[in-house]
Amino acid sequence: MAKQILSCTVNGEPVEVLVQPYVTLLDALREDMGLTGPKEGCGTGDCGACTVHVDGRVVASCLMLAMQARGRKIRTIEGLASADSTLHPLQEAFVRHGVPQCGFCIPGVLMAAAALLEGNPRPSEEEIRYGIAGNLCRCTGYTKMVTAISEAAGTLASQRSAR
Amino acid sequence: MSTMKTTRDVKGVGVSIPRPDGPEKVTGRVQYVADIPAKGLLHAKLLRSPHAHAKIVSIDTSAAKALPGVRAVLTAKDIPHLKKKAPTRAHAVLAIDRVVFMGQPVAAVAADEPSIAEEALDLIKVQYQVLAPSVDPLKSMLPGAAPVADAGTEADTSEALAHSAVAIAKSETPAKAVNISQQARLQRGDPAKGFAESDHVLEKTYRVPMVHQGYLEPHAVLAEWDRNGLLTLWASTQGSFNTRSEVADVLGIPENRIRVIPVECGGGFGGKIRALCEPITAVLAQVTKRPVRYVMTRREELQAGMPAPQVIIKLKTGVKRDGTLMALDAETVIDSGAFSGAVLAVSAVFLGSMYKWPSFDIRGFEVLTHKPSVAAYRAPVAPQTIFAIESHMEQIARDLDLDSVEFRMRHLIEPGDPMVNGQPWQSNGAKQVLSRIAEHPHWKSRKQWVAAAGKNGKRRGVGLALGGWLGGLQPTGATVRLNPDGSLAVLTGQVDIAGTNISLAQIAASAYGVDTDLVRITTGDTDVAPMTGLSAGSKTIYTVGAAVLQAAEDARRQTFEIAAAELEASVHDLELVDGKVTVRGMPDKGITLATIGKKGNLYMSKTPPVLGKANPAFTQQAPGFAAQLARLEVDPDTGEVTIQDFVIVQDVGKAINPLGVEGQMQGGAVQSLGIALTEGLMFDDSGRLTNPSLLDYRKLTAADLPNLETIIVEVPAPAGPFGARGVGEPPIIPAPAAIANAIQNATGARLTELPMSPERIALALVNGKQ
Repeated sequence: MAKQILSCTVNGEPVEVLVQPYVTLLDALREDMGLTGPKEGCGTGDCGACTVHVDGRVVASCLMLAMQARGRKIRTIEGLASADSTLHPLQEAFVRHGVPQCGFCIPGVLMAAAALLEGNPRPSEEEIRYGIAGNLCRCTGYTKMVTAISEAAGTLASQRSAR
Repeated sequence: MSTMKTTRDVKGVGVSIPRPDGPEKVTGRVQYVADIPAKGLLHAKLLRSPHAHAKIVSIDTSAAKALPGVRAVLTAKDIPHLKKKAPTRAHAVLAIDRVVFMGQPVAAVAADEPSIAEEALDLIKVQYQVLAPSVDPLKSMLPGAAPVADAGTEADTSEALAHSAVAIAKSETPAKAVNISQQARLQRGDPAKGFAESDHVLEKTYRVPMVHQGYLEPHAVLAEWDRNGLLTLWASTQGSFNTRSEVADVLGIPENRIRVIPVECGGGFGGKIRALCEPITAVLAQVTKRPVRYVMTRREELQAGMPAPQVIIKLKTGVKRDGTLMALDAETVIDSGAFSGAVLAVSAVFLGSMYKWPSFDIRGFEVLTHKPSVAAYRAPVAPQTIFAIESHMEQIARDLDLDSVEFRMRHLIEPGDPMVNGQPWQSNGAKQVLSRIAEHPHWKSRKQWVAAAGKNGKRRGVGLALGGWLGGLQPTGATVRLNPDGSLAVLTGQVDIAGTNISLAQIAASAYGVDTDLVRITTGDTDVAPMTGLSAGSKTIYTVGAAVLQAAEDARRQTFEIAAAELEASVHDLELVDGKVTVRGMPDKGITLATIGKKGNLYMSKTPPVLGKANPAFTQQAPGFAAQLARLEVDPDTGEVTIQDFVIVQDVGKAINPLGVEGQMQGGAVQSLGIALTEGLMFDDSGRLTNPSLLDYRKLTAADLPNLETIIVEVPAPAGPFGARGVGEPPIIPAPAAIANAIQNATGARLTELPMSPERIALALVNGKQ
């Protein structure tokens, strides 16, 4: 099959790559753009390890065809820290609270949490738990994750009010 | 040498320090096997059997071989040099003339693209003659059942030895029960007399299905051969040396021709100890002379991974009216799937060893069935076994109107008491964790909390359970090197999955006498690291930690000898403070660690470099106990359970890094709650898995759970580094029983089969109290 040109924005940079029309966005990111932060844990949209943002919304990139991302803004875990590589408050809180164990789910959880906080800056514990309910984690039991997300929400709020 | 030491005055053990590779993990920069770039990479796929039991009549690979982009198509005929009989799952590289479980690999393809490899699988034509499978272990263990193993296959107990080293007497297989692969029998006293003298006899059967370890990263390996015939494997493994040994044995090549590089492991929990896809990937790479990567799909993981066994336990107990234990009759049947390898001994020994039964008859059977073969899963068979014991103990207490904690406490073992196999219990904190959880406000206030159930019609219950794990042992090595700037480099072969390297650094820091910031741990591959055991059996900190401690002490001794010569003082008069070795009481007379480190690396220097080493073996286990408490609500109409509060109390000996310990306690508990409430691999009568996706194999999400409270108890382990004992496994053990006990407290129904799904609970409520 002939490859097609995928033009989109990835982590703030314009990107043009040749992709097979049948590949998923996850495969295009990992194989064609070298962004291996998003993980494939199931390939069926059930585990959330491949979570990215498409136009600001949380998407299981294993369920979306790459060509459906044409003209859209993609953000992956590689684009969560700021350009000077300062960690996002969520990332910083995850490190400090010792959240990552095996770490395989972490990129997806962080992207889900980042989208949650962008839409709901001060979520309740229950809202956090539902916000990451599409992301399976097998190591942590989620408790430290929820604490870290809640704390990062506070950090982001104080950063906003300081501005 | 005693490993019990008090902490030196440095930032070392006992402090919560986040793991230093955290930033790599939260930025997506950490590379797992699937993330490694490789030039000329080929992608492997396996054709798997659609039948649980069948004869292979013929295989036609010609159309697959003709597909452009396909570089190799292999069947068993193409690898005749590999052993004919398959004593272990790893040796069953490709099925020879019979398949014995659904999902067993029959052919292998390597191609330029995954999609081409997949297309090639569709072009392979296999003719099967379907045979009747043995699926139910209780039927499979009877004479006349369809045989699973080829005649002459032996039991595989290597996993049991690695995990917990419990010795049991083997007994003879009864005639013609061809699928019983291991047996154990443990007896003491006269149970018949004990039952005759009992006032209360309780008999129940507990059932736990196969469950999957559920690591998020599927099995993955990258294999490449160089021109000298050296095989390199980038593996997602819990033990690189074990992977090397197994692959060498299967391929029939010397171990020194294989280098295993342990790549970041995306979870294992026991499922990534034994070799699985490594041998076939290595063969494909050898045939194609290209690097080949194989990554299992989730469906393959669930259908043909190496899950935890199905366990069926019959318990019959006899006690006096006042709760005096009289007799135990127990039988544990462990369904090992198509190959032997379950840890039968742990189940058989634990059944009678936690409480002091004066007489018992315990029988254990490992049974083969036409299902995927099993492997370890975090405290293998302990959650299943403790589910039976702790449900049963609660039921006895309830029947006799005894306080459930007092009843347990009265009969609970103490250090020195014999286990059912005669070995004495080592030092442990079983009583301490049980009494600690009984002091918890959630337990003390349980009656009020249950009575205060809301108007939503839901019923409230509180339950607890105790569980333990003997702890694994394995020899291991470590080196500690002093760098020219005074920092320390520690080398082990230990695969760091959960964050153990930071704890090892803390141990080295405290033992040597520097801050943890000055210590870096490297996990070496099999070419460079000292021989190191598995990341399994709750033994990383207990054994590798002890090796690191001893190596750091050795390095300190060498450092002091060099300093003593330089300072013309006795080593006994020296102390190490703030990176400087000084003569005690003379802070000006000293030499910095950096100076000593530099001298070891100077041209023409006469000072040897400091290289501490230790390679201990171990004999003394350090059992770990955890108690867990659940407060929950049951919807009597739907059977749905909502956990409101969950408390974990665990004896960890010494919390080297409390942050990491808490993470282990919480993570283990949630896996345990999954076993209790939602998880189970469900096979139909033909041996087909009916729930091969994460939509249908339901793991718990954040939305299913409350925050988990952790309470650390420290009863020092005599031989543990700084008193530490294993942490990983105890927290996965008690929850199924704690939940079952809470559900009974809420509804009166005693659930004896896992998972305790809404359907099962609702049915139990409709059908009356069991």
